Amino acid sequence: MTDAVLPAPIVKAAPDRERLAAFGFVAPSVLIIALVFVLPLALLLGVSVLDPKGGVTVAHYARLLGTPYYLGVIWNSLRLGLLTTLIAFLISYPAAFALARARGALRSILLATLFLPLAASVIVKAFAWTILLRSDGLINTVLIAVGIIEDPIRMIFTQTALIVGAVNIFLPFMVLPIYAVVAQLDGRYAEAAATLGASPLVVFFRVILPLTLPGIIAGVALVFSLSVSAYVVPTLLIGEKYPTLATTIAKAYLLAREPGFGAAAGVVLLAIAIIVVALSAMLSREPK
Amino acid sequence: MSAAPHLVISGVSKRFGAATVLDRVDLTIRRGELVTLLGPSGCGKTTLLRAIAGLAPPDGGTIALAGRDVTHVPPHRRNVGVVFQSYALFPHLTVAGNVAFGLKVRGAPKAEIDRAVERALSLVKLGHLGSRRISALSGGQQQRVALARAIAVEPDVLLFDEALSALDRKLREEMQVELRRLLQEVKATAIFVTHDQDEALTMSDRVAVMNKGRIEQLAEPRELYARPASLFALNFVGLSTRIAGQVVGGSNGTVEVVTPVGRLSARGAFQPGASVIVATRPEQLRLGTGDGANSAAGRVRSVVFQGSRTLVDVDAGAGASLLAELSGREAELPRVHDEVRFAWPVAETFAFAAEAS
Repeated sequence: MTDAVLPAPIVKAAPDRERLAAFGFVAPSVLIIALVFVLPLALLLGVSVLDPKGGVTVAHYARLLGTPYYLGVIWNSLRLGLLTTLIAFLISYPAAFALARARGALRSILLATLFLPLAASVIVKAFAWTILLRSDGLINTVLIAVGIIEDPIRMIFTQTALIVGAVNIFLPFMVLPIYAVVAQLDGRYAEAAATLGASPLVVFFRVILPLTLPGIIAGVALVFSLSVSAYVVPTLLIGEKYPTLATTIAKAYLLAREPGFGAAAGVVLLAIAIIVVALSAMLSREPK
Repeated sequence: MSAAPHLVISGVSKRFGAATVLDRVDLTIRRGELVTLLGPSGCGKTTLLRAIAGLAPPDGGTIALAGRDVTHVPPHRRNVGVVFQSYALFPHLTVAGNVAFGLKVRGAPKAEIDRAVERALSLVKLGHLGSRRISALSGGQQQRVALARAIAVEPDVLLFDEALSALDRKLREEMQVELRRLLQEVKATAIFVTHDQDEALTMSDRVAVMNKGRIEQLAEPRELYARPASLFALNFVGLSTRIAGQVVGGSNGTVEVVTPVGRLSARGAFQPGASVIVATRPEQLRLGTGDGANSAAGRVRSVVFQGSRTLVDVDAGAGASLLAELSGREAELPRVHDEVRFAWPVAETFAFAAEAS
């Protein structure tokens, strides 16, 4: 047997004319993306550095990044995003495997419980949590009635409430991309690794985890960008005492009438999301 | 090849729900031996392989490998090498990364790993592709990487689960010959699972024909073909002429059988009155009457020319047919509709109980 029976794949360079034709086909999509996504971003960026009295200014950025209060606001957003993402991942990863293992009716029911909440507005879900967590809410009422506690526990407007609510609301965006990858995972990989001498723990860290990384990255990117910029969830579940970039932007536009400052906060928020998502994708690359 | 038993399977059973997939299987394999588990799908051959690998522990019986009882030892502590039908190469690792995997997880020093990887890859003639990604390889190359990965850990036994079936025919036939040579070169003990009789006959020192969770016959390829132990083994390996009849007498391991094509003699021990199938291999049939041989006549139904040989199908009447394989040296080949008579030696005629299979 020679190498001749295993021919190298033939790679043919596309002629220029074909490339031109191909560009013609994608041109409409490129145009729509430019109009819908790139243009608003450019406007946001522009507003954030334009001085109404004329000229260009970095005053808004200096205020955001130079004031301890606003640094705290940035940290609050980052913290909300990171904690929500981390906890959602820890819950979703095993859940995705359970979902992939489930068969028949059980699988349908589990998938439905993930999908159905997506149909409800985030405001409804956040209010639902306030009803549960209020001092005269369901949980306190039950605990008092059963006699476990005498006075209501303060749950609403705490950071715990915030994180619990955020994790609950954004969970499907973590479970579904991981589930999609896990469901496609060939069980033979784990078996092959085991026969080569890998203990179950080694199989997990050297085979299962790397092979499910694309799903994890997708889930992390989705949940982090959703939770770092969440507005409704912190507003309803913790309120004034936990200002985030999102609530600061809303205030800048709606109350203070400072569109320049709001735009700058928006740019910072966007930058954080991009950096964290890009970082997680880079860190997860298999080291050579 | 030493005679010391290397892999001893005794009384191994496995049930999935109500179905018995392995039924008290016994099999002993010597060090350096290449054995094939041959059988149709559902015969239990893959389950037996998985039991040896530790991927599907048996419900009963014991498996001893290299002098150690491994019946309940998990796969990662067994030192077996498995080549899967789908290869199961890790897509997130390079070719070299795949081959190194087994040694890495065993904590071998880097220099030793590099040496072993290089050796394994050069054995399968892929020494130049170590840094490639798996997705950049052809099916045949992936097959070789899977093999290199399995031999790199120097396992006590190599297990092949339909490992060649995904290759196209020409490549598969070349791989059969090359694989056998390679395994003999590294003195590997190997078990192949296949439903392909050609693969079984080409690659193995011994073939275990499996049916309904049992080993029907364990024999060297030549013996399996020339002396099938059961009707199932006869049918599963090679072509044959089969004629039903009734035993009317016999002695000394030979029976006389009355069949629609006349009275035939066959090897076997049956009481008079028993229903049997008389069978022989197509290359035993010769044109003519033959002296002291079995013979039957009929009208030629089809003649299929296959280069070095020609298959002649003869309608012998009463639903019986004869299948003859004539070599290219035959002076004159019969034509369709010709009336012909074939003869074949009694020593190459077998009788099997008719009710089996």
